[in-house]
Amino acid sequence: MIKTSVHEDLGLCVVKPTVERLTAANATTFKEEVIALLDQKHDRLVIDLAEVSFIDSSGIGALVGVLKRVGTRGEIVVCNLASSVQQMFRITRMDRVFSAYRDVDAAIQALKERA
Amino acid sequence: MYDYQGEPRSDLSAVPVKVVVADDDALQRAYFSAILTKLGFEPHEAEDGCRALDLVNELSAKILICDLEMPGMNGYELARRIRQDSSDHYIHILMVTGQNQRNEREHALEAGIDDFMAKPLDTASLTARVRSASRLLRHEEQLRERSRIIAEAKERIEDDLRAAANAQRRLLPDEHRDVGKCSFHAAFRPSNILSGDMFGYFPVSEAHTAFYAVDVAGHGVHASLMSVALGHLLTAEYFTAHAFDAEGRPDPAALVHGLNDRFYRDDGTEYFTMFCGIVEHASDRLYYCQAGYPSPYKVSLDGTANEVGDGGFPVALLLNVAFETRNTPFHAQEAVALFSDGATEAENFENQPFGEARVEAVLKDVRDPAMIPDKLVDALDQWRNGRTLDDDLTVLVCERTPQP
Repeated sequence: MIKTSVHEDLGLCVVKPTVERLTAANATTFKEEVIALLDQKHDRLVIDLAEVSFIDSSGIGALVGVLKRVGTRGEIVVCNLASSVQQMFRITRMDRVFSAYRDVDAAIQALKERA
Repeated sequence: MYDYQGEPRSDLSAVPVKVVVADDDALQRAYFSAILTKLGFEPHEAEDGCRALDLVNELSAKILICDLEMPGMNGYELARRIRQDSSDHYIHILMVTGQNQRNEREHALEAGIDDFMAKPLDTASLTARVRSASRLLRHEEQLRERSRIIAEAKERIEDDLRAAANAQRRLLPDEHRDVGKCSFHAAFRPSNILSGDMFGYFPVSEAHTAFYAVDVAGHGVHASLMSVALGHLLTAEYFTAHAFDAEGRPDPAALVHGLNDRFYRDDGTEYFTMFCGIVEHASDRLYYCQAGYPSPYKVSLDGTANEVGDGGFPVALLLNVAFETRNTPFHAQEAVALFSDGATEAENFENQPFGEARVEAVLKDVRDPAMIPDKLVDALDQWRNGRTLDDDLTVLVCERTPQP
């Protein structure tokens, strides 16, 4: 349920969940697929939420689970947040946990500068 | 915990399997019957298709051996009729055909025949085919037995879940009750048998009344166990001990912080959102800590509704995060209405969520706080067209009763 594009030159990977709703129904699958990526040493990720119009508490839990797994050895940022996703990030303070960017380019740019 | 061995109900080898032999040739029938009897089956002879159909039904026979050509109903028609009947068990049909009847065989497969034997018939090929059919029968019997055991187990588990759900519901307070200068009104609609929602309210002292609502992420047994644990933990005594600072001022964030330390696990995935409020009667203020729970609304008799709080970290999701106690004026004849995200996220047939604006509209429209829970539930029922909610729904209203 994720599409990935690896940018070898920049040492990062863009992960795009291809679901409209990231919820209790699919959050575990999402988390497992992203963790499988981390295990392949991709630990600088841009999570592109362009296709996700709704995220529930389990979806948030999955994102945080991935973040915990990365820990200090890598970085995870998000981009393309729909307004309801933004609202969920705000109410759960995830806007303070994840750096959010307007689009993939802005997210890549930011990661590049931090490298 | 669940040990469902199940007892085998029938032993195929103990009861001879009934086989209907349909052929208009009496000699052929007798020949089949003799071999079948020798193999341990129980043959029943039919001289034509109609009689064979009757016998199959009467005896609940599981194997039918039939000739293609028979007066009246031929082999195809017989097979078709048997396949049309919705019997609870499968009937294996073996057909006897002439040599080189390839076209006939294709027709026969379409009609529902399982296997063929060519004339002239020899004992070896009949034996092999009947044995293969009875192997399938035994397999089918085993599958049926297995699904019976699974169905029984499922029923037992569902009974247990219902008992757990009742226990969980008994933890919830009354839908309407006056508690220390406040009136509480609530509604609770679980989406499953078990729910991850929990709420409560109680007087903490002469001067303070407390309430909380919790929504555990996810559904099902895990979520409900955590919500029950919280329901038992969060008592008036717990609030007294943990939700006040050294000077005795309400500090619900301290309580939430304690819960975060207590329930956080490094490898854990379970967490919950919470709203925790303490009404201080003398100062007409509500002290609250919002921990990822949707912002409630403060409603007044004049029909205004304003959001309370702008968010906060959920509980047990991350360690070392700050929880904040905030306060807001809360006067007599005002009410604070909490609702779980099951309300705003409820979708109609067009997948459109109910949303904050519609919740707010319902709250503004209802002038009597006691009516808020039922009105909101009604509005959601209409929005959903009567379909059950996908998520648990809690509505909890704390109304400050007029002072004498």
